[in-house]
Amino acid sequence: MPILECKELGKRFGGVSALDGVTLAVEPGRVVGLLGPNGSGKTTLLKLANGLLTPTAGEILINGERPGVGTKAVVSYLPDREYLPDWMTAKQLMDLFCDFYADFDRERAREMLARLGIADTMHIKQMSKGTREKVQLIMVMSRRALLYLLDEPIGGVDPATRDYILETIIRNYNPEAAVVISTHLIADVEQVLDEVIFIRDGRIMLQSSVDAIREEKGMSVDQYFREVFKC
Amino acid sequence: MLGRLLKHEFRATARVMLPIYGAVLILAVLANFSFSLIDATDSLFLHILFIFFIVVFFIGVVGSFVLTVVVMVSRFYRNLLKNQGYLMHTLPVTVHGHLWSKLIVSLVWFFATAVFILIVFLLTGLIQTNTGIGDILSNFPSWAEVKEFLAESGFLGQGVLMTAELAVIVLVEALVTCLHFYAAMSLGHACAKSKVLMSIVFFVAISVVFSILENVCVIGFIAADAFDSIEHLSAGLGAALGIQIIEGAALYIASYLGLKKGLNLE
Repeated sequence: MPILECKELGKRFGGVSALDGVTLAVEPGRVVGLLGPNGSGKTTLLKLANGLLTPTAGEILINGERPGVGTKAVVSYLPDREYLPDWMTAKQLMDLFCDFYADFDRERAREMLARLGIADTMHIKQMSKGTREKVQLIMVMSRRALLYLLDEPIGGVDPATRDYILETIIRNYNPEAAVVISTHLIADVEQVLDEVIFIRDGRIMLQSSVDAIREEKGMSVDQYFREVFKC
Repeated sequence: MLGRLLKHEFRATARVMLPIYGAVLILAVLANFSFSLIDATDSLFLHILFIFFIVVFFIGVVGSFVLTVVVMVSRFYRNLLKNQGYLMHTLPVTVHGHLWSKLIVSLVWFFATAVFILIVFLLTGLIQTNTGIGDILSNFPSWAEVKEFLAESGFLGQGVLMTAELAVIVLVEALVTCLHFYAAMSLGHACAKSKVLMSIVFFVAISVVFSILENVCVIGFIAADAFDSIEHLSAGLGAALGIQIIEGAALYIASYLGLKKGLNLE
Protein backbone atom coordinates (compact mmCIF):
# COMPACT_ATOMS: atom_id res chain seq x y z
CA MET A 1 0.00 0.00 0.00
CA PRO A 2 1.36 3.47 -0.85
CA ILE A 3 2.27 5.55 2.17
CA LEU A 4 1.13 8.69 0.33
CA GLU A 5 -1.59 8.61 -2.30
CA CYS A 6 -3.42 11.40 -4.12
CA LYS A 7 -6.49 10.72 -6.24
CA GLU A 8 -7.63 13.54 -8.54
CA LEU A 9 -6.61 15.94 -5.76
CA GLY A 10 -7.54 19.57 -6.23
CA LYS A 11 -7.18 22.74 -4.19
CA ARG A 12 -8.54 26.15 -5.11
CA PHE A 13 -7.99 29.42 -3.24
CA GLY A 14 -10.97 31.52 -4.25
CA GLY A 15 -10.87 31.54 -8.01
CA VAL A 16 -7.25 30.40 -8.25
CA SER A 17 -6.39 26.76 -8.73
CA ALA A 18 -3.28 25.70 -6.77
CA LEU A 19 -3.60 21.99 -7.48
CA ASP A 20 -5.65 20.34 -10.19
CA GLY A 21 -6.31 16.62 -10.70
CA VAL A 22 -3.16 15.47 -8.91
CA THR A 23 -2.86 11.70 -8.91
CA LEU A 24 0.26 10.08 -7.51
CA ALA A 25 1.49 7.39 -5.17
CA VAL A 26 4.63 7.19 -3.04
CA GLU A 27 5.72 3.78 -1.80
CA PRO A 28 7.55 3.14 1.50
CA GLY A 29 11.35 3.02 1.40
CA ARG A 30 11.69 5.63 -1.36
CA VAL A 31 13.32 9.05 -1.28
CA VAL A 32 11.24 11.17 -3.61
CA GLY A 33 11.99 14.62 -4.95
CA LEU A 34 8.92 16.82 -5.44
CA LEU A 35 10.38 19.16 -8.01
CA GLY A 36 8.90 22.23 -9.56
CA PRO A 37 9.42 25.96 -9.96
CA ASN A 38 8.23 28.43 -7.32
CA GLY A 39 4.45 28.58 -7.15
CA SER A 40 3.96 25.20 -8.80
CA GLY A 41 1.93 23.75 -5.88
CA LYS A 42 4.62 21.84 -3.93
CA THR A 43 3.92 23.51 -0.59
CA THR A 44 0.15 23.25 -1.09
CA LEU A 45 0.49 19.49 -1.69
CA LEU A 46 2.56 19.02 1.47
CA LYS A 47 0.16 21.17 3.51
CA LEU A 48 -2.75 19.03 2.29
CA ALA A 49 -0.86 15.88 3.33
CA ASN A 50 -0.45 17.38 6.81
CA GLY A 51 -4.09 18.42 7.19
CA LEU A 52 -3.07 22.10 7.19
CA LEU A 53 -5.40 22.65 4.23
CA THR A 54 -8.60 20.90 3.17
CA PRO A 55 -8.89 19.66 -0.45
CA THR A 56 -11.56 21.17 -2.67
CA ALA A 57 -11.58 18.08 -4.94
CA GLY A 58 -10.43 14.47 -4.83
CA GLU A 59 -8.68 13.00 -1.83
CA ILE A 60 -5.28 12.53 -0.25
CA LEU A 61 -4.46 9.46 1.83
CA ILE A 62 -1.61 8.77 4.23
CA ASN A 63 -1.18 5.07 4.88
CA GLY A 64 -4.75 4.63 3.60
CA GLU A 65 -6.22 7.29 5.93
CA ARG A 66 -7.34 10.85 5.33
CA PRO A 67 -5.16 13.41 7.18
CA GLY A 68 -6.16 13.53 10.83
CA VAL A 69 -4.89 12.70 14.29
CA GLY A 70 -3.91 9.16 13.20
CA THR A 71 -1.84 10.29 10.21
CA LYS A 72 -0.16 13.14 12.11
CA ALA A 73 1.27 10.54 14.48
CA VAL A 74 3.17 8.92 11.59
CA VAL A 75 4.07 11.94 9.44
CA SER A 76 7.13 14.05 10.25
CA TYR A 77 6.88 17.44 8.58
CA LEU A 78 9.42 20.18 8.06
CA PRO A 79 7.72 23.37 6.85
CA ASP A 80 9.50 25.93 4.70
CA ARG A 81 9.78 28.44 7.55
CA GLU A 82 10.87 28.84 11.16
CA TYR A 83 8.00 27.44 13.15
CA LEU A 84 9.35 26.55 16.58
CA PRO A 85 8.54 28.85 19.56
CA ASP A 86 11.73 30.88 20.01
CA TRP A 87 11.34 31.22 23.79
CA MET A 88 11.83 27.48 24.24
CA THR A 89 15.10 25.85 25.22
CA ALA A 90 16.42 22.81 23.40
CA LYS A 91 15.29 20.66 26.35
CA GLN A 92 11.76 22.11 26.35
CA LEU A 93 11.56 21.44 22.63
CA MET A 94 12.56 17.81 23.13
CA ASP A 95 10.01 17.54 25.98
CA LEU A 96 7.32 18.76 23.62
CA PHE A 97 8.22 16.31 20.84
CA CYS A 98 8.52 13.48 23.40
CA ASP A 99 5.10 14.28 24.87
CA PHE A 100 3.26 14.25 21.57
CA TYR A 101 5.14 11.86 19.29
CA ALA A 102 5.50 8.28 20.47
CA ASP A 103 8.11 7.75 17.72
CA PHE A 104 10.43 10.57 18.85
CA ASP A 105 13.94 9.32 19.65
CA ARG A 106 15.15 11.71 22.32
CA GLU A 107 18.63 10.22 22.57
CA ARG A 108 19.19 10.61 18.85
CA ALA A 109 18.04 14.23 19.00
CA ARG A 110 20.25 14.97 21.99
CA GLU A 111 23.27 13.44 20.26
CA MET A 112 22.75 15.49 17.11
CA LEU A 113 22.22 18.68 19.12
CA ALA A 114 25.34 17.98 21.17
CA ARG A 115 27.33 17.50 17.95
CA LEU A 116 26.29 21.03 16.96
CA GLY A 117 27.36 22.29 20.39
CA ILE A 118 23.80 23.10 21.46
CA ALA A 119 23.28 22.79 25.22
CA ASP A 120 19.91 21.69 26.65
CA THR A 121 19.50 25.09 28.27
CA MET A 122 20.08 27.10 25.10
CA HIS A 123 17.07 29.10 23.92
CA ILE A 124 16.08 28.92 20.27
CA LYS A 125 16.19 32.72 20.03
CA GLN A 126 19.86 32.61 21.07
CA MET A 127 20.73 30.50 18.02
CA SER A 128 21.76 31.80 14.61
CA LYS A 129 19.32 31.42 11.71
CA GLY A 130 21.34 28.52 10.29
CA THR A 131 21.45 26.72 13.65
CA ARG A 132 17.70 27.17 14.13
CA GLU A 133 17.12 25.54 10.75
CA LYS A 134 19.38 22.65 11.73
CA VAL A 135 17.54 22.25 15.04
CA GLN A 136 14.21 22.07 13.21
CA LEU A 137 15.59 19.39 10.93
CA ILE A 138 17.04 17.45 13.89
CA MET A 139 13.64 17.41 15.60
CA VAL A 140 11.91 16.23 12.44
CA MET A 141 14.49 13.58 11.58
CA SER A 142 14.65 12.25 15.16
CA ARG A 143 11.22 10.74 14.71
CA ARG A 144 10.83 7.14 13.52
CA ALA A 145 8.02 8.24 11.22
CA LEU A 146 6.49 6.41 8.25
CA LEU A 147 6.53 9.48 6.05
CA TYR A 148 8.86 12.49 6.12
CA LEU A 149 7.61 15.55 4.27
CA LEU A 150 10.39 18.12 3.92
CA ASP A 151 9.45 21.42 2.34
CA GLU A 152 12.45 23.24 0.84
CA PRO A 153 14.90 21.91 3.45
CA ILE A 154 17.91 23.33 1.59
CA GLY A 155 16.43 26.60 0.41
CA GLY A 156 18.37 29.71 1.40
CA VAL A 157 21.24 27.98 3.22
CA ASP A 158 24.98 28.01 2.54
CA PRO A 159 26.63 25.01 0.78
CA ALA A 160 28.13 23.62 4.03
CA THR A 161 24.74 23.70 5.75
CA ARG A 162 23.20 22.16 2.63
CA ASP A 163 25.59 19.21 2.93
CA TYR A 164 24.83 18.90 6.64
CA ILE A 165 21.08 18.88 5.97
CA LEU A 166 21.22 16.26 3.22
CA GLU A 167 23.54 14.08 5.29
CA THR A 168 21.23 14.37 8.31
CA ILE A 169 18.24 13.35 6.20
CA ILE A 170 19.95 10.35 4.63
CA ARG A 171 21.59 9.14 7.85
CA ASN A 172 18.52 9.43 10.03
CA TYR A 173 15.38 8.57 8.14
CA ASN A 174 13.61 5.37 8.95
CA PRO A 175 14.55 3.00 6.07
CA GLU A 176 11.01 1.63 5.97
CA ALA A 177 9.63 5.12 5.57
CA ALA A 178 9.26 7.32 2.53
CA VAL A 179 10.88 10.75 2.32
CA VAL A 180 9.43 13.47 0.12
CA ILE A 181 11.76 16.43 -0.43
CA SER A 182 10.21 19.44 -2.07
CA THR A 183 12.72 21.71 -3.80
CA HIS A 184 13.68 23.54 -6.93
CA LEU A 185 17.43 23.10 -6.21
CA ILE A 186 17.65 19.83 -8.10
CA ALA A 187 21.40 19.50 -8.63
CA ASP A 188 21.94 19.51 -4.85
CA VAL A 189 19.42 16.79 -4.00
CA GLU A 190 19.68 14.60 -7.09
CA GLN A 191 22.32 12.37 -5.51
CA VAL A 192 19.97 11.28 -2.69
CA LEU A 193 16.79 10.71 -4.71
CA ASP A 194 15.29 7.40 -5.82
CA GLU A 195 12.35 8.95 -7.59
CA VAL A 196 11.14 12.33 -8.82
CA ILE A 197 7.79 14.00 -9.30
CA PHE A 198 7.71 17.04 -11.59
CA ILE A 199 4.95 19.50 -10.83
CA ARG A 200 3.97 22.66 -12.73
CA ASP A 201 0.96 24.95 -12.29
CA GLY A 202 -0.60 22.50 -9.87
CA ARG A 203 -0.44 19.55 -12.27
CA ILE A 204 1.82 16.51 -12.18
CA MET A 205 4.02 16.48 -15.27
CA LEU A 206 5.94 13.29 -14.50
CA GLN A 207 6.58 10.65 -11.87
CA SER A 208 9.57 8.46 -12.57
CA SER A 209 12.55 6.77 -10.96
CA VAL A 210 15.84 8.66 -11.20
CA ASP A 211 17.46 5.63 -12.90
CA ALA A 212 14.76 5.56 -15.57
CA ILE A 213 15.37 9.22 -16.43
CA ARG A 214 19.12 8.66 -16.66
CA GLU A 215 18.74 5.50 -18.80
CA GLU A 216 15.85 6.56 -21.03
CA LYS A 217 16.67 10.24 -21.47
CA GLY A 218 20.42 9.96 -21.19
CA MET A 219 20.63 12.99 -18.92
CA SER A 220 20.67 13.89 -15.26
CA VAL A 221 17.47 14.85 -13.44
CA ASP A 222 18.70 18.43 -13.29
CA GLN A 223 19.28 18.52 -17.08
CA TYR A 224 15.93 16.88 -17.75
CA PHE A 225 14.16 19.28 -15.39
CA ARG A 226 15.68 22.25 -17.22
CA GLU A 227 14.45 20.79 -20.51
CA VAL A 228 10.91 20.12 -19.28
CA PHE A 229 10.55 23.47 -17.54
CA LYS A 230 12.32 25.56 -20.21
CA CYS A 231 10.69 29.00 -20.38
CA MET B 1 -3.49 14.52 24.96
CA LEU B 2 -5.44 17.38 26.60
CA GLY B 3 -3.32 17.02 29.74
CA ARG B 4 -0.12 17.38 27.72
CA LEU B 5 -1.48 20.36 25.82
CA LEU B 6 -2.42 21.99 29.13
CA LYS B 7 1.06 21.37 30.52
CA HIS B 8 2.73 23.11 27.57
CA GLU B 9 0.09 25.84 27.48
CA PHE B 10 0.66 26.68 31.16
CA ARG B 11 4.42 26.62 30.61
CA ALA B 12 4.09 29.04 27.69
CA THR B 13 1.70 31.46 29.41
CA ALA B 14 3.25 31.37 32.90
CA ARG B 15 6.44 32.91 31.53
CA VAL B 16 4.38 36.00 30.66
CA MET B 17 1.81 36.01 33.46
CA LEU B 18 4.11 35.50 36.44
CA PRO B 19 6.30 38.53 35.61
CA ILE B 20 3.09 40.59 35.30
CA TYR B 21 2.08 39.50 38.82
CA GLY B 22 5.61 40.24 40.00
CA ALA B 23 5.43 43.75 38.55
CA VAL B 24 2.05 44.42 40.22
CA LEU B 25 3.48 43.17 43.53
CA ILE B 26 6.43 45.59 43.26
CA LEU B 27 4.00 48.42 42.44
CA ALA B 28 1.89 47.39 45.45
CA VAL B 29 4.94 47.58 47.76
CA LEU B 30 5.84 51.03 46.38
CA ALA B 31 2.22 52.18 46.73
CA ASN B 32 2.12 50.95 50.34
CA PHE B 33 5.27 52.87 51.18
CA SER B 34 3.79 55.90 49.49
CA PHE B 35 0.50 55.59 51.42
CA SER B 36 2.43 55.30 54.69
CA LEU B 37 4.93 58.11 54.07
CA ILE B 38 2.88 60.65 52.13
CA ASP B 39 1.70 62.46 55.28
CA ALA B 40 5.13 62.31 56.94
CA THR B 41 6.87 64.59 54.45
CA ASP B 42 6.62 68.25 53.47
CA SER B 43 8.62 67.83 50.29
CA LEU B 44 6.59 68.61 47.17
CA PHE B 45 8.84 66.34 45.13
CA LEU B 46 8.20 63.37 47.46
CA HIS B 47 4.46 64.12 47.48
CA ILE B 48 4.40 64.01 43.69
CA LEU B 49 6.55 60.86 43.69
CA PHE B 50 4.27 59.08 46.19
CA ILE B 51 1.12 60.07 44.29
CA PHE B 52 2.81 58.87 41.10
CA PHE B 53 3.53 55.45 42.72
CA ILE B 54 -0.06 55.15 43.94
CA VAL B 55 -1.50 56.06 40.52
CA VAL B 56 0.88 53.67 38.76
CA PHE B 57 -0.20 50.91 41.17
CA PHE B 58 -3.86 51.38 40.21
CA ILE B 59 -2.92 51.52 36.52
CA GLY B 60 -0.94 48.30 37.08
CA VAL B 61 -3.98 46.63 38.64
CA VAL B 62 -6.20 47.53 35.68
CA GLY B 63 -3.33 46.73 33.32
CA SER B 64 -2.92 43.23 34.75
CA PHE B 65 -6.54 42.44 33.78
CA VAL B 66 -6.05 43.95 30.33
CA LEU B 67 -2.79 42.05 29.86
CA THR B 68 -4.47 38.78 30.86
CA VAL B 69 -6.90 39.26 27.98
CA VAL B 70 -4.07 40.34 25.65
CA VAL B 71 -2.08 37.20 26.55
CA MET B 72 -5.17 35.04 25.90
CA VAL B 73 -5.73 36.61 22.47
CA SER B 74 -2.11 36.77 21.35
CA ARG B 75 -1.42 33.20 22.49
CA PHE B 76 -4.25 31.88 20.31
CA TYR B 77 -3.19 34.05 17.38
CA ARG B 78 0.53 33.31 17.48
CA ASN B 79 0.28 29.67 18.50
CA LEU B 80 -2.48 28.49 16.15
CA LEU B 81 -2.71 31.01 13.32
CA LYS B 82 0.87 32.16 12.67
CA ASN B 83 4.12 30.22 12.13
CA GLN B 84 3.80 28.16 15.33
CA GLY B 85 0.56 26.84 13.83
CA TYR B 86 2.73 24.63 11.59
CA LEU B 87 3.91 22.88 14.74
CA MET B 88 0.64 22.86 16.68
CA HIS B 89 -1.63 21.73 13.84
CA THR B 90 0.70 18.85 12.92
CA LEU B 91 0.68 17.44 16.46
CA PRO B 92 -1.55 14.36 16.71
CA VAL B 93 -4.21 16.35 18.56
CA THR B 94 -7.80 17.21 17.64
CA VAL B 95 -9.01 20.76 17.08
CA HIS B 96 -11.23 20.25 20.15
CA GLY B 97 -8.07 19.55 22.17
CA HIS B 98 -6.47 22.80 20.98
CA LEU B 99 -9.60 24.83 21.72
CA TRP B 100 -10.19 23.37 25.18
CA SER B 101 -6.57 23.70 26.23
CA LYS B 102 -6.62 27.39 25.28
CA LEU B 103 -10.01 27.93 26.97
CA ILE B 104 -9.11 26.18 30.22
CA VAL B 105 -5.75 27.93 30.55
CA SER B 106 -7.27 31.35 29.77
CA LEU B 107 -9.99 30.72 32.35
CA VAL B 108 -7.44 29.74 34.99
CA TRP B 109 -5.42 32.92 34.36
CA PHE B 110 -8.54 35.13 34.45
CA PHE B 111 -9.42 33.79 37.87
CA ALA B 112 -5.82 33.71 39.05
CA THR B 113 -5.52 37.42 38.15
CA ALA B 114 -8.79 38.22 39.95
CA VAL B 115 -7.73 36.31 43.10
CA PHE B 116 -4.22 37.81 42.96
CA ILE B 117 -5.55 41.38 42.75
CA LEU B 118 -8.02 40.65 45.57
CA ILE B 119 -5.17 39.43 47.77
CA VAL B 120 -3.01 42.45 46.88
CA PHE B 121 -5.84 44.83 47.84
CA LEU B 122 -6.58 42.86 50.99
CA LEU B 123 -2.94 42.99 52.08
CA THR B 124 -2.76 46.69 51.22
CA GLY B 125 -5.89 47.28 53.32
CA LEU B 126 -4.46 45.29 56.24
CA ILE B 127 -1.14 47.14 56.10
CA GLN B 128 -2.73 50.58 55.83
CA THR B 129 -5.18 49.96 58.70
CA ASN B 130 -2.59 48.19 60.84
CA THR B 131 -4.88 45.17 61.03
CA GLY B 132 -3.50 41.70 61.62
CA ILE B 133 -4.96 38.61 59.94
CA GLY B 134 -5.65 37.31 63.48
CA ASP B 135 -7.90 40.35 64.14
CA ILE B 136 -9.99 39.51 61.08
CA LEU B 137 -10.25 35.82 61.90
CA SER B 138 -11.27 36.53 65.52
CA ASN B 139 -14.06 38.84 64.30
CA PHE B 140 -15.21 36.42 61.61
CA PRO B 141 -18.68 34.95 62.34
CA SER B 142 -18.95 31.19 62.95
CA TRP B 143 -20.60 28.97 60.32
CA ALA B 144 -23.60 28.52 62.68
CA GLU B 145 -24.03 32.32 62.85
CA VAL B 146 -23.75 32.60 59.06
CA LYS B 147 -26.41 29.90 58.63
CA GLU B 148 -28.70 31.60 61.11
CA PHE B 149 -28.27 34.94 59.34
CA LEU B 150 -28.99 33.36 55.95
CA ALA B 151 -32.09 31.60 57.27
CA GLU B 152 -33.42 34.79 58.90
CA SER B 153 -32.77 36.91 55.81
CA GLY B 154 -34.69 34.43 53.65
CA PHE B 155 -31.61 33.99 51.48
CA LEU B 156 -31.64 30.20 51.60
CA GLY B 157 -33.62 28.67 48.75
CA GLN B 158 -33.93 31.18 45.91
CA GLY B 159 -30.93 33.19 47.17
CA VAL B 160 -28.61 30.21 47.07
CA LEU B 161 -29.93 29.26 43.66
CA MET B 162 -29.32 32.80 42.39
CA THR B 163 -25.79 32.87 43.78
CA ALA B 164 -25.06 29.55 42.08
CA GLU B 165 -26.55 30.91 38.85
CA LEU B 166 -24.44 34.07 39.10
CA ALA B 167 -21.29 32.00 39.66
CA VAL B 168 -22.04 29.85 36.61
CA ILE B 169 -22.88 32.98 34.58
CA VAL B 170 -19.48 34.51 35.44
CA LEU B 171 -17.75 31.27 34.44
CA VAL B 172 -19.68 30.93 31.18
CA GLU B 173 -19.23 34.64 30.41
CA ALA B 174 -15.46 34.22 30.71
CA LEU B 175 -15.62 31.29 28.29
CA VAL B 176 -17.87 33.24 25.89
CA THR B 177 -15.43 36.19 25.98
CA CYS B 178 -12.54 33.89 24.99
CA LEU B 179 -14.61 32.17 22.32
CA HIS B 180 -15.69 35.54 20.89
CA PHE B 181 -12.03 36.33 20.16
CA TYR B 182 -11.24 32.78 19.03
CA ALA B 183 -14.18 32.58 16.63
CA ALA B 184 -13.43 36.01 15.12
CA MET B 185 -9.75 35.12 14.60
CA SER B 186 -10.45 31.60 13.28
CA LEU B 187 -13.02 32.87 10.77
CA GLY B 188 -10.90 35.90 9.83
CA HIS B 189 -7.87 33.73 9.17
CA ALA B 190 -9.91 31.35 7.02
CA CYS B 191 -10.20 34.24 4.54
CA ALA B 192 -7.75 34.37 1.64
CA LYS B 193 -6.64 37.99 2.22
CA SER B 194 -6.57 40.70 4.93
CA LYS B 195 -6.84 38.10 7.67
CA VAL B 196 -6.36 40.48 10.61
CA LEU B 197 -8.81 43.01 9.17
CA MET B 198 -11.35 40.24 8.55
CA SER B 199 -10.88 39.02 12.15
CA ILE B 200 -11.82 42.52 13.37
CA VAL B 201 -14.81 42.56 11.01
CA PHE B 202 -15.99 39.18 12.35
CA PHE B 203 -15.46 40.37 15.94
CA VAL B 204 -17.63 43.44 15.39
CA ALA B 205 -20.26 41.46 13.45
CA ILE B 206 -20.55 38.87 16.23
CA SER B 207 -20.79 41.67 18.83
CA VAL B 208 -23.62 43.34 16.91
CA VAL B 209 -25.60 40.11 16.42
CA PHE B 210 -25.23 39.09 20.08
CA SER B 211 -26.05 42.57 21.29
CA ILE B 212 -29.32 42.54 19.31
CA LEU B 213 -30.16 39.06 20.65
CA GLU B 214 -29.43 40.07 24.26
CA ASN B 215 -31.43 43.31 24.00
CA VAL B 216 -34.44 41.49 22.59
CA CYS B 217 -34.25 39.07 25.53
CA VAL B 218 -33.95 41.88 28.10
CA ILE B 219 -37.00 43.60 26.60
CA GLY B 220 -38.80 40.24 26.83
CA PHE B 221 -37.85 39.90 30.52
CA ILE B 222 -39.09 43.42 31.31
CA ALA B 223 -42.34 42.77 29.45
CA ALA B 224 -42.81 39.58 31.46
CA ASP B 225 -42.18 41.41 34.78
CA ALA B 226 -39.12 39.22 35.35
CA PHE B 227 -37.61 41.64 37.86
CA ASP B 228 -40.65 41.98 40.18
CA SER B 229 -39.74 39.15 42.58
CA ILE B 230 -36.75 37.06 43.60
CA GLU B 231 -38.35 33.95 42.03
CA HIS B 232 -38.78 35.73 38.69
CA LEU B 233 -35.28 37.17 38.95
CA SER B 234 -33.84 33.70 39.48
CA ALA B 235 -35.76 32.41 36.45
CA GLY B 236 -34.48 35.45 34.49
CA LEU B 237 -30.88 34.63 35.43
CA GLY B 238 -31.50 31.04 34.31
CA ALA B 239 -32.72 32.35 30.95
CA ALA B 240 -29.69 34.68 30.68
CA LEU B 241 -27.45 31.69 31.34
CA GLY B 242 -29.29 29.77 28.62
CA ILE B 243 -28.64 32.59 26.14
CA GLN B 244 -24.96 32.67 27.12
CA ILE B 245 -24.68 28.93 26.58
CA ILE B 246 -26.28 29.23 23.13
CA GLU B 247 -23.86 32.07 22.25
CA GLY B 248 -20.92 30.06 23.58
CA ALA B 249 -21.94 26.97 21.62
CA ALA B 250 -22.32 29.01 18.41
CA LEU B 251 -18.89 30.60 18.92
CA TYR B 252 -17.29 27.24 19.71
CA ILE B 253 -18.70 25.72 16.50
CA ALA B 254 -17.50 28.75 14.51
CA SER B 255 -14.00 28.49 16.05
CA TYR B 256 -13.92 24.75 15.41
CA LEU B 257 -15.00 25.03 11.77
CA GLY B 258 -12.65 27.96 11.17
CA LEU B 259 -9.68 25.88 12.39
CA LYS B 260 -10.80 22.53 11.00
CA LYS B 261 -12.13 23.43 7.57
CA GLY B 262 -10.86 26.94 6.95
CA LEU B 263 -7.30 26.72 8.24
CA ASN B 264 -5.03 28.51 5.78
CA LEU B 265 -1.68 29.34 7.37
CA GLU B 266 0.45 31.81 5.46
